[in-house]
Amino acid sequence: MNNATVLPSFVAGLMLAASAAAHHSAPVFYKVNERVTISGTVTEFRFSNPHAILKLDVVAENGETQHWTAETTSPSILRRRGWSQQSVEAGERVTLEGMPSVDGSYLVRIVRAFRADGTEIGVPRGTDN
Amino acid sequence: MPSLAARIAWLAAGTALAATAAAQSPEAHGIAGFWSLSFGALPPRRNPSPTEAALMAEFPRGTVLLGDAGAVEFAPGDYGGLELRESLREAAKSYDPAAQTEVSLTCRPPGLIYSMQGPFPIEVFEGRDLIVIKLEYFDLVRIVFMNESEHDADWPHSPTGHSIGRWDGDTLIVDTVKLTAGTLFNNGVDHTEDAHLVERFELADPNTLVVTQQFTDPGSFTGTAARVLAFTRGQDHVYPYDCDPTYGLAIDSREGPAAR
Repeated sequence: MNNATVLPSFVAGLMLAASAAAHHSAPVFYKVNERVTISGTVTEFRFSNPHAILKLDVVAENGETQHWTAETTSPSILRRRGWSQQSVEAGERVTLEGMPSVDGSYLVRIVRAFRADGTEIGVPRGTDN
Repeated sequence: MPSLAARIAWLAAGTALAATAAAQSPEAHGIAGFWSLSFGALPPRRNPSPTEAALMAEFPRGTVLLGDAGAVEFAPGDYGGLELRESLREAAKSYDPAAQTEVSLTCRPPGLIYSMQGPFPIEVFEGRDLIVIKLEYFDLVRIVFMNESEHDADWPHSPTGHSIGRWDGDTLIVDTVKLTAGTLFNNGVDHTEDAHLVERFELADPNTLVVTQQFTDPGSFTGTAARVLAFTRGQDHVYPYDCDPTYGLAIDSREGPAAR
């Protein structure tokens, strides 16, 4: 199953504010007005500033295993939304919604993350926290 | 990169100064505490509140109010209406974003003008002779000298510069120079070491702190630029940032049809 799907961009404004972080610029690396959804098995999760990194294997429709890299906003911010180094474990299956990369590589900027049972990882935040 | 011992010493010094500042507060103005920057829209992306409008009235005529405060970031080539020097505009065209993931640059603080408006909390310690502002972003610690009226000409340049402050009623006015050249927008445009930053801090209510920054830098742009920030009080402390310089290696090792 190829789980990479580009979603409509009408939600861009709010979600950009939700996920953009400074210094390592989102618009430089990502199409901030587009969304992609991928599902796969976590191979690595590192929870350190400036951005947490999640590596996962995604099986494409042709059976090929794609090695994706996903980054979050700053862990400092995520800690206040219920994330920690223990939030995700290697071997766990997750679904990520995020911004696709500008260069087309297997890189995504996470906006929301879900466990296999559909539970959202961390605490969703409002428009202003 | 500073050694771990040096970083710990610097953080310890900042904490000690913060404690000193807190102990010296005979007439607090209420700005001490933990503040989170608003993730919502800020002026000019929404109408200003009365306090914001009053502080914006202090901007010089013709000031360009930037729309990238908070979580918003300008895309490459977008400079918010600022009239950049031609040389800077040309340099920005050849900006290589890959530099953002280099191990040697990943944990280099971007400087105060950019750092204060990033979507990270700050913690203010208000004293008589010093006001200390700890930024969660890159563990930056600002010292505002309230007992000095002129800048120290020999002060070395740094990401936090040299700041002197004064109270105008309940408005804290902070004047900063000696800033290391650093990014303005995080998209390839840097200010020079001659940038001059003026900030105003004022409570809109006990739980809302409005901060304006206005800055000039004739070497990089014409006129005055400004941002408006709004912080919400919280019961917390800033966390250690403890930047990991190897972050970029994970980004640079990405795979896929267009990966470098």
